Amino acid sequence: MLEHIVFYSLSTLVLVCAIGVVTMRNTVHSALCLGLCLAGLAGLFASLGADFLFAAQVMVYVSGIAVLIIFTVMLLGRASDLHLRQVNDQWMAALLICAVSSEGLLKIARFFSGTLATTAAKPATRDIGRLFLGEWMIPFELVSLVLMAALLGAIFFSRSEASR
Amino acid sequence: MTSSSPKPASVKASLPEPVLNDKNGILMTNRRWPIEQWARPWSLPGYRNGAMMLAGIVLGILAGGALIGELSKWGDRLYALMGSFAAAKGISTVAVEAVWIAIKVLIVLHVILLNGLWSIWWERKISAHIQSRVGPTYAGGFHGWAQTILDGVKLFLKEDITPAAADQWVHALAPAIVIAPCIAAFAPVLFGSELAAARLDVGALYIFAFAGISVIGVVMAGWASGNKYSLLGGLRAAAQIVSYELPRGFSVVPVIMFAGSLDLSVIVSAQSGFWWGMAPRWFVFYPVVGQVAFLIFLIASIAETNRTPFDIPEAESELVGGFHTEYSGMKWSVFFLAEYAYVLLGSFLLATFFLGGGGSPLPWTPFTLVPSWVWMLAKAMLMMFVFLWVRWTLPRLRVDQLMDVNWKFLLPWSFANIALAGLYLAFWLK
Repeated sequence: MLEHIVFYSLSTLVLVCAIGVVTMRNTVHSALCLGLCLAGLAGLFASLGADFLFAAQVMVYVSGIAVLIIFTVMLLGRASDLHLRQVNDQWMAALLICAVSSEGLLKIARFFSGTLATTAAKPATRDIGRLFLGEWMIPFELVSLVLMAALLGAIFFSRSEASR
Repeated sequence: MTSSSPKPASVKASLPEPVLNDKNGILMTNRRWPIEQWARPWSLPGYRNGAMMLAGIVLGILAGGALIGELSKWGDRLYALMGSFAAAKGISTVAVEAVWIAIKVLIVLHVILLNGLWSIWWERKISAHIQSRVGPTYAGGFHGWAQTILDGVKLFLKEDITPAAADQWVHALAPAIVIAPCIAAFAPVLFGSELAAARLDVGALYIFAFAGISVIGVVMAGWASGNKYSLLGGLRAAAQIVSYELPRGFSVVPVIMFAGSLDLSVIVSAQSGFWWGMAPRWFVFYPVVGQVAFLIFLIASIAETNRTPFDIPEAESELVGGFHTEYSGMKWSVFFLAEYAYVLLGSFLLATFFLGGGGSPLPWTPFTLVPSWVWMLAKAMLMMFVFLWVRWTLPRLRVDQLMDVNWKFLLPWSFANIALAGLYLAFWLK
């Protein structure tokens, strides 16, 4: 009962905010909606008992990525960002891509929906650490390599032509 | 303001008589204060004054700690009472838990509110004495103790102004977004060795995560005010706080590695025990790694609270008031409540991570008998004093200096510190 209330209210929050991100006319309002949407997602993780994922989601997405997006929107803001429709004529293609990818996600969710744990959730930080640096070491290091490459690429492209 | 008659018997012969207005006894000059004594602080009356202040601080911490300990016992009793009441009336345990969590949230909220009253008064006194002033003196009678309460009343009575250029909703919501994660971040904070509102396995990560959300509120305040100075303050705050979060988090990684857990009570219990029977095994005393981590965490915590060496988001001489320029009354005071709450959070975290939490600093009897919440409060207050002391001692950094300190000094050294901690774990600690 309680978990149903929590799940449905958080899902409503996430969905309403996600729609707000694309339909709001003011880009700053959209960015704030994105932050709230990511926070609601963290709440969903918490309600499922994934404590490490919850804290990491809040730390990385809400207080990191959302803040950087808001920062960028404010720093690069034009007057037209505050009152015009923020949708161009490719919205149908975007909608199609979203529909296809949500269909795929739905299939994955259906496939794994029987494997949900039935016992009470327990702290998972230690197990996540052991898996990352044990069984899944190579994929984990590959992902960090990709992130490192992205970091170096960002620095390379953000430097001016003269200093390259 | 008290209009007491002059007390000839109790006034020391060395001090001049206070000059009072005949009509209603209001003090006319400041000659009651022992100016001669401040000119010679290393004199006998100076020592006596200092000893009395020290005794007052110890007594205050004992009283505050005893209050926390007693309240926690009452809380246990209340919880048992609620459980038996629900069992007798057939109420589900979920309802009992919900009410109990609400009570704990209220208690944590009051920690923040009382801390606002106390630390603002203390900051005024410390800043005054650092600058050879005396600070609040009249309000309430004893060293101006009621100053913050009266300020709160003043802020309640002020008009709440929303500028015409402001984005109304965002402007009104910003203080709430600043204070709400701050209250949430206090949930796993330890007030004694086992005394916390919630015991979380990811406690340290949880606190850092929630303390980081507040910056969204600051940026919202800066943008929604419709004022270019506020916007600049908000942008500076975003850049500064997001940057300083990194060394703040990474400086604690050695502590987490030594303790082997993110749970604050496990981190505290990993610091119990003594080297050679007398030196406490606190993480700050681990050679090199402990001190470097402590300093980086302290500097980054001060930067996170936007206080003076790092106060470019609200630099008065450059940006009027930064992101809170357009706020007045209670909305403005909520920003400051959050700032002082983060100071308290930083001091409790420093005490927990590096100073052994509620553990006694010496292994002998009179010290080990003191309960853990008194030690915890004493260490946190010591760290809070450091916060206030730094604010009123150091000048403001420039924007580029601030970023250089973070990215070119604190962050690389915190990485090196993690590597060194790994070497310690491999060769020294088992």
